[in-house]
Amino acid sequence: MDLDALASCLATTSCVVTQTTSGLIVGMLLFLVAAGLTLIFGVLKIVNFAHGTFYMLGAYLAYTVYTATGSYTLGVLAGGAGMAVFGVLFERGLISRVYGANVLMQLLICYAVVLICDDLVKIIWGPDFYAMGMPPAFQVPPWFIGGGVVPPFYALLIAAALLIGGGLGLALGLTRTGKIIRAAAHNPDMVSALGINTTLLYSLVFAVGGMLAGLAGGLAAPVRSLTPGMGFSVLIESFIVTVIGGMGSIGGALIASIVLGLIRGFGTIGFPLFTDGLMYIAMIIILVAKPSGLFGKEIV
Amino acid sequence: MNSPAQPGGPPMLKISGLTKRFGGVAAMSDVTLDFAAGTLSAVIGPNGAGKSTFFNLISGAIRPDAGQVVFKGEDITGLNRAAIVRRGIGRAFQVASFFPSMTVEENLMAGIAAHRSQWSDLNHRFPRQGVRARALEVAEMLGLQDKAAVLSANLSHGDQKLLDIALALALEPSLLLLDEPTAGMGPEERWQMIEKVQRLWQQQNLTLIFIEHDMDIVFGISSSIRVLCYGRVLAEGTPDEIRANPAVIEAYLGTPVEEDAA
Amino acid sequence: MRRAPIMRDIVIAVILVAVLAAIPYLTPSKAFQDFVIRCSSMALFAMSLNLLVGYTGLSSFGHGLFFGLGTYTFELLMQNTGLSLPVAALATLLFTCVTAIVVGAICIRLRLIYFAFVTLAMQMLAHSIIISWVSLTGGDQGLQGGIPRRFLFGLSLENQYNLYVFSGAVLAVGLLLMRHIVSTSFGTSLRMIRDNEARAAFLGISIWRVKLTVFVLSALFAAVGGMIMSLFVSGAYPELINWPISGDAIFAIVMGGVGSFLGPTVGTMILLLLNDLVTRQTEYYGLALGIIILVFALGLRRGLLDFITERLGGRPAGGIS
Repeated sequence: MDLDALASCLATTSCVVTQTTSGLIVGMLLFLVAAGLTLIFGVLKIVNFAHGTFYMLGAYLAYTVYTATGSYTLGVLAGGAGMAVFGVLFERGLISRVYGANVLMQLLICYAVVLICDDLVKIIWGPDFYAMGMPPAFQVPPWFIGGGVVPPFYALLIAAALLIGGGLGLALGLTRTGKIIRAAAHNPDMVSALGINTTLLYSLVFAVGGMLAGLAGGLAAPVRSLTPGMGFSVLIESFIVTVIGGMGSIGGALIASIVLGLIRGFGTIGFPLFTDGLMYIAMIIILVAKPSGLFGKEIV
Repeated sequence: MNSPAQPGGPPMLKISGLTKRFGGVAAMSDVTLDFAAGTLSAVIGPNGAGKSTFFNLISGAIRPDAGQVVFKGEDITGLNRAAIVRRGIGRAFQVASFFPSMTVEENLMAGIAAHRSQWSDLNHRFPRQGVRARALEVAEMLGLQDKAAVLSANLSHGDQKLLDIALALALEPSLLLLDEPTAGMGPEERWQMIEKVQRLWQQQNLTLIFIEHDMDIVFGISSSIRVLCYGRVLAEGTPDEIRANPAVIEAYLGTPVEEDAA
Repeated sequence: MRRAPIMRDIVIAVILVAVLAAIPYLTPSKAFQDFVIRCSSMALFAMSLNLLVGYTGLSSFGHGLFFGLGTYTFELLMQNTGLSLPVAALATLLFTCVTAIVVGAICIRLRLIYFAFVTLAMQMLAHSIIISWVSLTGGDQGLQGGIPRRFLFGLSLENQYNLYVFSGAVLAVGLLLMRHIVSTSFGTSLRMIRDNEARAAFLGISIWRVKLTVFVLSALFAAVGGMIMSLFVSGAYPELINWPISGDAIFAIVMGGVGSFLGPTVGTMILLLLNDLVTRQTEYYGLALGIIILVFALGLRRGLLDFITERLGGRPAGGIS
């Protein structure tokens, strides 16, 4: 614990700016992953323990497309599109077979997929980690805001994540399909009563969830090292975010992601070895105080 | 009141000023009712009248915001479910509630073991002495003895309702609350069920309160009737008094009452 | 609830332990003895988790907390105090008991998936504390340096054969105790809560007391499993309190069968056998294990022992589907 370091950081603008930026990046990328997770839970009441794998595969896919084409944008889009397809295959091929089964059975299926994909990544890309590096266009001197260092690429990441999140919000709020998904998340029984094709709806939700995680993986690829198993810490963090925000609540996930990102950003300074511990403490406190999370529906 | 018990005796259950709000909506407001010992009383009212809430408040499933529940002279307001059960209030549910992985006999033995405060017993094997015999006795009260070995999940709907009531009886309650004992049954099955309930009431020396929608049954067997409407007491009295009550006639027969106007 | 008299179970257990003790005189396989020791440790742990999952319907994702706590507490006591092995073991159980009461009191207020997540968070919190409290726990290096005074009533548990028989015997005693617990009236209360919590409450059962009691009991058995592991690996390491250890136990009980008393033991054997056989054949352990899990989970749709029991026309003691 190093509270002095934390205090002196909070006293200087430069440190606050730097840590806030890095916190926001963590938070916004996390939000994209968690939004899919919470959406899937809201509509299907399935906890997708393989969601971190979507993120990992998205990152690797983006890396491959980027090295082949030189286009970061194409790489990210490929990550998103690839994981949308993967999400549908995963839902149709595996998860749909254990709807209604015990949550542990679902956990086991997802665990199997995580194990398989981690090893497939090892086989295809090798066991060593990759550093993709920032696209050349962004290898420019950083901006200095209030004395803090802000690489332009970080600003791009935050903006891109905001854009995707905003797009998701608009799609859910304005389109007919989006409204159906929101209604389904609110009241799953109603959807089948309305004669909506639930098979299609469930696949769609997994496609959207997969796409978001894939995009997040692609966006993150330049600033994270790519290793088999990189999905796990993201999975745990997005669970924490989902639970704190309230399972099924996308707005809750957004707020919780940002809070968690900031805990990470500043926790690294004050509690370098215990930042994870801080997140777990936050999760326990929230769960005990309000079991359904900050914005979740009351559970009966 | 034309109850079989001595009029003027202390009531078994005395409810005063009972109030419960959900959000801003009053599900129960200022309900004051007495139930004399040994009576068979019906609680009726349109959907959403607060009948199930009334049972939930008495049995401790939810806590009232205001008011008092006095059972056999003791204030039991705000006690938890288990504590209220131990004082002698048994309850059966609108949707039959039992232990589906157990047979009928195991269900009843489990209930009896719980009633005999053996539920925390880590020393003796289940069932302890006398539990099985008592379970068969209880099964017989409701005509379930031939189905003792049947897995309860596989019972017919009617038998599941009977098992639910049998579980409540395993507690040897002095007050029994039955939430729509005939829900989901055909006309013939309903009367068979009601005959069993009536026989229990007579043989077991119970005070019995039941919620029911079938007015033939309500007016056919109850010694007194309470009518709830929007969480308030609309009327109380003997079947004859209720039949003649203008407010009840309006609520049931007059202009259609809007269900969600609270 | 057909059940055999407790004497029969005891006789079977004694015979099994005797057979186990005799096996090394027939075949001197060290690998087999290793397998039995690891299996005893993990089986106790998985069986203890099944008291929660299979019998009470409480799906904990963080039961590894108590397994890891057992290894660390025991190791710390042995290394830093002069306590003898049995006393250190008892002190470990006492500490586990106190911790389980506190953790349980917080966790059992929550239900279903929320219970699962809060237990996982508790375990990961403990893991974070152990990683960051380097001066006490050795951080991510763990507690190395072996265990001094490994004597139990004059027998050295440093001797592999002794540890092997000892582990088997502890597993046997643990299984007998758990068998007893689930066959008491308290055990019936667990099933009542799993089947229908509200009904159980309306029969006068104090739900939180039963849940907290079973939570603490299962934590104690998990800690015993942890102590055996500590003796086996001669130390305590962060991996033993990290999330995959809970994952292994969940794997074992789901694969073996949550509805059969011995299901988790069978599942543990499957897991360890797979582990040993597959890692010998290929470096892609995860790939092979994942495929096997999918075949099991989608093919049988239930644990192996539950599947067999149902095939033989029986009714598993429980079931959580």
